[in-house]
Amino acid sequence: MRFVLTTRYAQDVALFRHNGQRFWYGLLAIALLVAPWLMTNFYVGEAAMVFIWAIAGVGVMLLVGYTGLVSLGHAAFLAIGAYTHAALLRYGVPLPLALLLATGAAAAAGALVGYAALRMTGVYLAVATLAFERIVAYLVEHGGALTGGVRGVAMTQPQWFGISVIHSHFFYYLCLGVLALCIFGAVNLLRSPTGRAFVAVRDSEVCAESMGVHLARTKTVAFALSAALTGLAGALMAHKIGHLVPEAFGVNVSIQLLLLVVVGGLGSLHGVVFGAIFVGFLPQILALARDQLAAFGVDRVPGLEVGAYGAILVLFLIFEPLGVYGRWLKIRAWFDEFPLYRKATYKKQKSYLRTERVH
Amino acid sequence: MLFEARDLSIRFGGVHAVRDVSFAIEEGEVFSIIGPNGAGKTTVFNLISRFYDPDGGTLAFRGEDITSTPAHHVAELGIARTFQNTELFERETVLANLLIGRHVHRRTNLLKDLLFLPAARRQEVAFREKVEEVIDLLHLQSHRRALVGSLPYGARKMVEIARALCTEPRLLLLDEPSSGLNPEETEDLAFWIEDIVADLGVTIVMVEHDMNLVATVSNRVLAMADGSVLATGEPAAIQSHPEVLRAYLGGTDEPPPAVAEAAP
Amino acid sequence: MSELLQLLVSGLSKGCVFGLIALGFVLIYKATEMLNFAQGELMMMGAFVAFTFVNLAAMPFLAGFAVTLVVALAFGMALERGVLRPMIGEPPFAVLMLTIGLGFVLRTVAVNIWGTDPRTLDVPYAGEVLVVREVVFGYDNLIVIGATAFLCGGLWLFFRRSRLGVAMQAASQNQLAAYYSGVPVKRVASLVWGISAAISAAAGMLLAPISLIDQNMGFIGIKAFAAAIVGGFGSLPGAIVGGLLIGVSEEFALRYLWPGFGEVTAFVILLVMLFVRPQGIFASLQKKKV
Repeated sequence: MRFVLTTRYAQDVALFRHNGQRFWYGLLAIALLVAPWLMTNFYVGEAAMVFIWAIAGVGVMLLVGYTGLVSLGHAAFLAIGAYTHAALLRYGVPLPLALLLATGAAAAAGALVGYAALRMTGVYLAVATLAFERIVAYLVEHGGALTGGVRGVAMTQPQWFGISVIHSHFFYYLCLGVLALCIFGAVNLLRSPTGRAFVAVRDSEVCAESMGVHLARTKTVAFALSAALTGLAGALMAHKIGHLVPEAFGVNVSIQLLLLVVVGGLGSLHGVVFGAIFVGFLPQILALARDQLAAFGVDRVPGLEVGAYGAILVLFLIFEPLGVYGRWLKIRAWFDEFPLYRKATYKKQKSYLRTERVH
Repeated sequence: MLFEARDLSIRFGGVHAVRDVSFAIEEGEVFSIIGPNGAGKTTVFNLISRFYDPDGGTLAFRGEDITSTPAHHVAELGIARTFQNTELFERETVLANLLIGRHVHRRTNLLKDLLFLPAARRQEVAFREKVEEVIDLLHLQSHRRALVGSLPYGARKMVEIARALCTEPRLLLLDEPSSGLNPEETEDLAFWIEDIVADLGVTIVMVEHDMNLVATVSNRVLAMADGSVLATGEPAAIQSHPEVLRAYLGGTDEPPPAVAEAAP
Repeated sequence: MSELLQLLVSGLSKGCVFGLIALGFVLIYKATEMLNFAQGELMMMGAFVAFTFVNLAAMPFLAGFAVTLVVALAFGMALERGVLRPMIGEPPFAVLMLTIGLGFVLRTVAVNIWGTDPRTLDVPYAGEVLVVREVVFGYDNLIVIGATAFLCGGLWLFFRRSRLGVAMQAASQNQLAAYYSGVPVKRVASLVWGISAAISAAAGMLLAPISLIDQNMGFIGIKAFAAAIVGGFGSLPGAIVGGLLIGVSEEFALRYLWPGFGEVTAFVILLVMLFVRPQGIFASLQKKKV
């Protein structure tokens, strides 16, 4: 077990607490930078997709995992980011500016929803965000030339110094860079008053309010930030998809985003990365499973993907509500405290219903 | 005068939960509100915290009318509170819980936080220094990095008081601070309360059932029943006040044992 | 005039289906504080089970209807016991996610049992119409309205008069207090899930002759949730009224407004409602007490 001697208060807000962390994260960074030169182009593309999922995941995690607000409609922000980005590129706006404006558009939409959601919690918010997603989907389907309707619209893939955006290595580093910035921003927020206000709102609204947290502003900011990151991910994803159609941003995508945060582990940024790897590679795993099933003579399992998402969600929530990251913490604790580890440390304590209502 | 409530009233449906309640609190005193269950004590707190809008009456803090101040602004003015059943962030450490108490003193904006500019870093360190002062005052050092959910109830109560103190309040509202504490912890609580008043110059209003504690620390006591004020005065006078006795006993003239024992 | 009347009737019948699903949703929430986003899928399962009994096993319609209700009741109770009970005490968000996952699983299960082709439930009143002064009403629509009224009446009597119903009400108001006064809270929770699943199954069977049975029919559950909120979340009459309001508006919007807009009417109404009167038509929930 490692004990860290803290001698200055600034140490507690440092990005890395000790040299061990610095070493491992440094190693990870080097591995990520070198990786594309060691993989086939297919896997470079898949890795970029994982980064995109992680960018959106950071956004969803800030809202769901840290602020405790549920959104079943995040696919809408993904769509807003993607279609705005596509439209801007079509009018010749340079790539970085288009990315920024797409992020801004999603943030504005998020602020709007967040503001509308001020008086809502729980069920209201869940259903309202779902409603918002449906309305955006309607607008996308009937958006005329701007969105191409149900037939969709082709993505402009601009060149940068003679390299196309979707060149696998360029795109990999672009997504990695954006993800690194997003995680850096999220870590910063979480070690400063804004992030603490998010967590306060999640854990007890009345208490947050009595501690001087402006509920309305905090929720709106959380929504806007979350939408911004999701929109940014959408814009990047648009390059990957190539041809934008409404189905690419359906309710299923919202659910995949929630699956990401639940499987990764609610309330942790590490969880986002685990979840993104999981969601990013799930289609491959399912394809393998399909092949296996075919070998057993089950040649067609309709809805396998959807069913698998659902089943994984259910199983995680029942057996490992803290997600992969929670499991990792438990394993680490087991080794750290080896002969002394008590299972009860992580046992669920609440077995009764704590009501949130007054009658 | 630090705080004044005048003719405060609120109704929930047909129930007149608080009816024409008036009281004034002087700087530096400990003011207790007592009364049987359902007398409207916590409702008075929720009115002061601005969780409820009163149907009538006014609230004034340091000469300023706060009857329509938004709830999140109350802490900034210098009024902090604790809750009957503790409202802590259970999955966070004690330190994180206390840091939220510094929120009202925040000087950075979203952008500075997002980039963690030097101003944000300096602010975090300053917050931490202040939090450590409160930790020292209430002897919470050993719990500093413990998860609140893993602490015994008595310690949680203290963490909640510490969090309220981190806002640097002028007026501290304690809602049944001794409920769930054992006699020993309650005795300690009396000392803490005296320390808080003496060292920090904080004025305290508390809702309390433990008459021993009330008699030990309070300068004045307000007794309530059915939403109305029965009497206000020195603890000893209130404990022998006939109306108060009647409210507690429901009609007989026999004094309740707890109250009789508590009488100095 | 006759067109308006016909639209009204078909809108009301649609609204009844929304209302019934919303009712199941609210019932579970009131009793267990769980949000069941698989309510639409329970309806879909009910319709498929009825299809199995009536079409495949060639049972008489009413008998098939009754057996389906029993199966749904048992299925709802089993779900509560097996999947939801371990979640007691978990944050509401986790339960909500769980039920979403459950809905996905149910859809896949349905596709693998009954296939992807849309099915039709054989009902004795299929295609029959009632003509009143040259205005034509489909029996399928009228029966939905009648059956919903009947079901609501039955439920009302159940909650007012029967011991069990009163126990459920008690449990929904304060679980701990109800437990202390001898209400078997856990069994009540199971039963509420059972009843709610049965109501949804009834909604599915009533809807089946109007639309078709397929694995995606549960999506109208989303509109039912909107109905529950518009009606005033937590209020049982509100669920029905909200359902009717949304059903009728949707029918008129489909007919008179822009193409495709009918599909989002429910959501537009919901968002407008949340701005104008967030507590819904029949307000019943309040802020948490401290």
